[in-house]
Amino acid sequence: MIHALAGGKARTAGALGRQFRSAQPTISRHLKVLEHAGLVERRIEGRTHWFRLRQQPLTEAAGWIARHHAFWTGAVDQLDRLLSDKAERDRR
Amino acid sequence: MIADKRGVEIRRHLTASPDRVFAAFADARLVERWLRPSPDIPLSVRQLDFREGGAYRLAYHVPDGTTVIVGGIYRTIEAPRRIVFSWVIEPPDIHAGIQSDVTVTLTPSSGGTDLVIRHDWQGRTDAEARHADGWRGALDQLITELEKA
Repeated sequence: MIHALAGGKARTAGALGRQFRSAQPTISRHLKVLEHAGLVERRIEGRTHWFRLRQQPLTEAAGWIARHHAFWTGAVDQLDRLLSDKAERDRR
Repeated sequence: MIADKRGVEIRRHLTASPDRVFAAFADARLVERWLRPSPDIPLSVRQLDFREGGAYRLAYHVPDGTTVIVGGIYRTIEAPRRIVFSWVIEPPDIHAGIQSDVTVTLTPSSGGTDLVIRHDWQGRTDAEARHADGWRGALDQLITELEKA
């Protein structure tokens, strides 16, 4: 599904269904999951729903998440060390 | 250690009591000594008004000479159990303007504290302003990331 949308153009659920030879409800369900995960965005024109990959927001989130994961892991290490060192000094 | 699509979660058991861990978040002089990714990146607390609605501002001095500024507002303070605050990096920075919330939970456990830090990404309020050039590179990266998962 991701590869089908990877061309960058918006596609309808119907067109995707024909490409995958899958029933409409199945395709719609897949698209809903991808939309909920933030990978796909939906545009509604009348009765047609167009689907497109949201590449940039996702990779930016991934970069932000990696950066902040490293940040908090390092910070909590230092918090642990600070509180342990302080307790050690206070005991003497 | 959990990193899902919407945020980061860190869990750690500390031997210090919840009161002492809480104080490490509330006192600017203590915050300066740990709220940074590594000791190689010194932190100056420019502002820390530790109360609900109060603001904080942190300046990180990266070894290459740049300074990264982070700021936010304390949304919830329930001593000594819970702290919720917003977190936004100021420009210039690749992640400047991305809204996020940090939730710190302290639970007493075996004489120490079970610490949980949840940092939730909320995205940009000006998402449409991001220029699309270079998205093909980002797309290749996305496909690679998804294929690895």
